[in-house]
Amino acid sequence: MTQTISRPKARAAKPSAGARFDTALGWSPRLGPNMVLRILLCVLVFCIFALPFVAIISGAFDRNSSPTDISLLPKSFTLRNFEAATQQGLWGYLLNSLVVAGGGLLLQMTVSVFAAYSLSRKKFRGQALVLLLVLLTMMLPEEIIGIPLSLVLGDLPLLGISLRGSVLAVILPVGIWGFSIFIMSEFMKEIPGEIEEAARLDGVGEFRMLFTIILPLCKPALGVIGIFGFMMVWDQYLLPLIAANDPSNYTLTVALSVLRNDTTVGPGVLLAGALMAMIPSLLVYLFLQRSMIRGITSGATKG
Amino acid sequence: MDSKLKSRSRAALALSLASAALLTGCGSGSSAPAAKDDGQPIEVWARAGTDAATTYSALFKEFTAKTGVQVNFQGVPDLDQQLQTRAASKKLPDIVINDSAALGNYTSQGYLQKIDKSSVAGNDAIPDSLWKETQGLDGSTYGVPFSRQTMVTLIRKDWREKLGLPVPKTQEDLAKLAAAFATQDPDGNGQADTYGMTVPGSTERGYFGWWASSYLWQDGGAYLKDDGNGKYSASASGAQAGVTWIKQQFCTPGNTQPGALTAATSAATPFFQTGKTGIILTGPYNFSSFDASLGKDKYEVIETPKGSKDNTVLAEGENIYVTATNGKKDQTKQVIDFLVSPDGQKAGMTAGKQPIVRVPVNSGVDAAAVYNDPRWTVVQDALKNSSKSFPSAINFVPIKQAAAEALNKIASDCAADNVASGLKDLDTAINNELTSQNAKS
Amino acid sequence: MTTAPTKPARSLTRAPDTGQAPARRKLRNSKQLLAIWLFLVPAAVLGLYFKFIPMVEGIRLSFFKVQPFLGDVFVGLDNYVSVLTDSRFMEALGHTVVLGVTQTLGALVVGFALALLLEGQARSLWILRTTIFLPVVTALAVVGEIWRILYFPTADGPLNSILGWLGLGPMQFLNGTDTALWSIAVVGIWSGAPYNMVIILAGLTGVDRSLYESAGVDGASIWQRLRYITLPALRPSLVIVLTLAAIRSLRSFTEVYVLTGGGPAGSTEVWMTRMYSLGFQRNDIGVASAAAVLLLVVTLLLTVGTQLLGKRKAAR
Repeated sequence: MTQTISRPKARAAKPSAGARFDTALGWSPRLGPNMVLRILLCVLVFCIFALPFVAIISGAFDRNSSPTDISLLPKSFTLRNFEAATQQGLWGYLLNSLVVAGGGLLLQMTVSVFAAYSLSRKKFRGQALVLLLVLLTMMLPEEIIGIPLSLVLGDLPLLGISLRGSVLAVILPVGIWGFSIFIMSEFMKEIPGEIEEAARLDGVGEFRMLFTIILPLCKPALGVIGIFGFMMVWDQYLLPLIAANDPSNYTLTVALSVLRNDTTVGPGVLLAGALMAMIPSLLVYLFLQRSMIRGITSGATKG
Repeated sequence: MDSKLKSRSRAALALSLASAALLTGCGSGSSAPAAKDDGQPIEVWARAGTDAATTYSALFKEFTAKTGVQVNFQGVPDLDQQLQTRAASKKLPDIVINDSAALGNYTSQGYLQKIDKSSVAGNDAIPDSLWKETQGLDGSTYGVPFSRQTMVTLIRKDWREKLGLPVPKTQEDLAKLAAAFATQDPDGNGQADTYGMTVPGSTERGYFGWWASSYLWQDGGAYLKDDGNGKYSASASGAQAGVTWIKQQFCTPGNTQPGALTAATSAATPFFQTGKTGIILTGPYNFSSFDASLGKDKYEVIETPKGSKDNTVLAEGENIYVTATNGKKDQTKQVIDFLVSPDGQKAGMTAGKQPIVRVPVNSGVDAAAVYNDPRWTVVQDALKNSSKSFPSAINFVPIKQAAAEALNKIASDCAADNVASGLKDLDTAINNELTSQNAKS
Repeated sequence: MTTAPTKPARSLTRAPDTGQAPARRKLRNSKQLLAIWLFLVPAAVLGLYFKFIPMVEGIRLSFFKVQPFLGDVFVGLDNYVSVLTDSRFMEALGHTVVLGVTQTLGALVVGFALALLLEGQARSLWILRTTIFLPVVTALAVVGEIWRILYFPTADGPLNSILGWLGLGPMQFLNGTDTALWSIAVVGIWSGAPYNMVIILAGLTGVDRSLYESAGVDGASIWQRLRYITLPALRPSLVIVLTLAAIRSLRSFTEVYVLTGGGPAGSTEVWMTRMYSLGFQRNDIGVASAAAVLLLVVTLLLTVGTQLLGKRKAAR
C-alpha cells in the first residue's frame, strides 16, 4: 500500500523523462554524446576486465599455452587438456564442490538471515558487541584456526562425533559467515519501521514477519549474500583439505592448487580446470544479479 | 529494564566465551599417545600426485597378492599440511613415504619410531651412505631409504646443433650457451623471444636455495657445513665464487628467463616445456612431461658441466618412515621388506606411468637396465659419482628458505656489489636457525 | 539542499512508542527477547563450534611450543617476541599496510565508478556486468599466472607493448624491487573492484528515485546530484565495502604468493606470507599462532575504528 503513496506521479505520464532518473548519473537511453561516451567507457572496461579471460579459454584448448604471451586463439587446438583433466579426476572434484557449495550456501543464507533479523530489527543491549563478534569471525586468519578446527571436526566437543570425511565437515563450518550476517543486517536496518509496526498491529508473528514482509524487501541483499556466499564456499581451500579423510574428498579448488604445484601436469590442464571451476560461479552470478538491479517492480517498493 | 537486559546479554556473552574455553581445555591433554594395533589394514601415506598415486596403488596390489597383508594406501599431495592435522589429533598414518630431507623435521616433532636397521631384510643391499642419511641428530636410524635421484642438466639439442655449439663441459660453456640461446634466435622464428636457462628464483618454498646449491657446490662452496656429530655451522661466506656466477646469470639479460626472480617451479618449468628456454637443471621426474610436450629427440640429458671444483649435483630421494602411533609391527616389517626388495623396487619403477622409485636404493637393481633408457644411466652415474644431498638430521626447510631469501636479494640488485655482504647476513641467519635447533657447533 | 534527508521515513523508526500501555510493553519485550535469542541460536552454535572454540585454542597455542607427540611446552611470550624481533616481519608489516590501504581505496574508487557506469537494465549492461565479474570468479592461482604473463618484463610483454605505444617503459613490474608491490596492488584492485561494484550496485537500488527527479526539477548538476543524494544514500554500502576490504586486504596471501612469493629481495613480503614461511614451513605452530593473534588484534582495532568513525559521521 505504501507504494502508491510514496511513488510520485511523474513516471507513468512521461516514461522517457523517467528513464533519466533511473540511474545515479542519469544516463540517457537516447543516442547522443552522452551515450557515445558511455559506450566508449564500457568498451575500455570490458577490455581491462574481460580480455584476460579469453587467454584462459584459448590456453585451455591449446597444446602448449605460452608462458610469455597472451594469445586470443589457441595456436594448436586440442582437447588433450580436458582429457588430462578427466584423468586427474577433476570431474569428481567438481561434483564434490557442487554438493558442498549447494548445501553450504543454503545453510549459510538461512543462518545469516535469522541472525541479521534479530541484529537489525530488534534492539537489545550488547547488540554492538554481538555484531563485533560476528565481524570477528571474519578476521580470524583461517590458517591459524586450521589446526584447532581440525581437532573440532575430528571430535565435536560435548557431542563426541567425528565429521571428518563427510560433506558436513565443510558445510557446517561455512554455515557461519560474518560477511553475510553483516551485509544482511546493514540492509535490513534500512527498511522503514512503520511497515513492521503496521504488520505487528495486524498480529503478524515473527516468522511470517521475516519471510513475508522483511525478506521481500531485502532482495538486493539476498542477491549479494547469495553470490558471495557461493563464492566463499567455492573458494574454500584449507577447510576441505583438513576436513578430508583422503584425497577423494577434495573439492575442485583444492585439486587445482595441487595441480599448480605439479610440474609434470602442465599449465594447460590447470587452465582447463580453472575454466571448469569458473562456470558454476558465473552462472550463479548471472541468475542472482537480477535481484540487485533496480527492476520496474522492485523500484516501486522502497523510498 | 535496560540494565537488566544489559546484564543478561553480558552474562550470555561471558557464558559463551567461558564454554569455548572449557570445551577446548578438555581436548588438549599433553600425554604422548600410545602405539597400538586397531585391527584395521595398515595405513600408508605418500606424497604423490595422481600419476604417482596410481603407481603406488599398483605396487601395493602386488604386495597384497604376495603376502595377503591388506594396505590402505593414500597418495596425499599436500602431505605436510595433512600430517600436521593428523598429528594434532594424535593419529598419524602407520607409514609415511616422503622426502629424505623431511626426517629432521619429523624427528624434532617426535613423529617417528626408531628403526632397527638389522631387522630390515636385505639391508646390506642398500649402500651405507644411504643408511647414513636416515640418521637423526642422536645417531639412531629413523627411516629406510626407498628411492633416490639427482638433478640433471637438460639442453635443447636441436637448438645447440643449429647454432653449431658443443655440449657444455664447464660452467663458462654453460653461460656461453645460455647467451647464444638468448641472442642467436635458435628457434629461427626471427624474434628475440628465446632465453638461456630456466631458473626457479622465487623465495616461495625456498626454491632458489634448492636450485642454487648444486652450482655453489660445483665451485667449492656451500651455505651449510657439516661439522660431524650432528653439529653444523653456516659457511655461506665461502661460497662467493658460486654466488657470483649465479648473479652474473641473472644480470646478463636473457641468460635466465625474464621474471626468474619471482618464478616458482610452476611458473618456470613451462618456459622449457614450450621452447622459450634451452637449459634446465631439474629432476628426472620431468622426462615424461617433456617427452610429451617437446619430444624425446629435441632435448638431451647431459652430465652436469663442471664448476671450478667439480660437477656435484643435488641428490634427493624418499624414505620410508614408521610413525610413533604405528602398532602393527609385523605388517610394517613386511611392507618395508617388500618395498626395498629387488621385486618391490622394480615394480616401483615400472608399475605405472610415473616411476615412484627413480633410481633404486637396492644395489641389486640397475636403473638403466630396467628403464632401458640411456638418460637414466646419466642420472644413475651422477648419483653414484658426483652427488650430494641436503643434511636430513636437522630441519633443513628454514635454512633453505633463508638461503633463497639471501640469494634473491643479491641477484635482484645488479648494480650493487652485494655478494659478500649478502652472504654474511645469510651466515648470521643460518647460525641463528641452527642455534634454535640445538644443532650449532 | 545540503541537509537533504536520505530517508525521510527513517526518523519515524526511532520514534518512541509512547502510546502503549506499560504492561503490554513488558509482555511484548519478554517475547521479543525470546525471539531475539531464538533467531541468534543457529549462528551462535555454529560460531561457537567452528570459530570461537578454534580461536580460543589458537590463542592458547600461541603461548606454547607446539609438539603434540612430545608434549606442548609453555613458553610465555617467547613466540610473540620471536615474531616482533624478526626484522622481516617488521618490513612485512609496512608492506601490508601500504598494500592494504592502496588496494582498499583503489578498489573502492574503481568499484564505485564501475557501479555508476554499469547501473541500469539494458541487456547489454547485464552481459557487461557478468563479464566484469570474471576476475572474482577465477581461481586466484590462475589469476596469478595470467598477470605474470601480462606483466612479462621484456619490451614485448603484453603490458609493456602498450606502454611502448605510449612511448613509455619497458617496466620491470613484478621483477623490480620498486615496482613489485604496486604491481600486486593493481592486481588486487582489478580483482577487488568488481566485488565492491556488486555491493554498491545493490546499494544504488535503494536510492529514492523521486529525489533524483526533484533534483532535476531544481536544475542540480550531475555532480551535485551525486554529492547530495547518491553518496549519502550509499553510506551504509560504503561502510560495508570499506570494512570488508580492510579486513580482506590485511590478510592478502594467495595473490602475493602466486605472483611473487614475497620477492624480489623481500619487497613484497606481507604479514601472511611471512607467517607462512616462519610458522608453517618449519612446523612451528606456536609462532604462527602468535603472528595470527597479532594480526587479529590489529584488524580488530581497525574495524572498531572504522565502525566508530561511521557512527560519528552518522550522528553528525
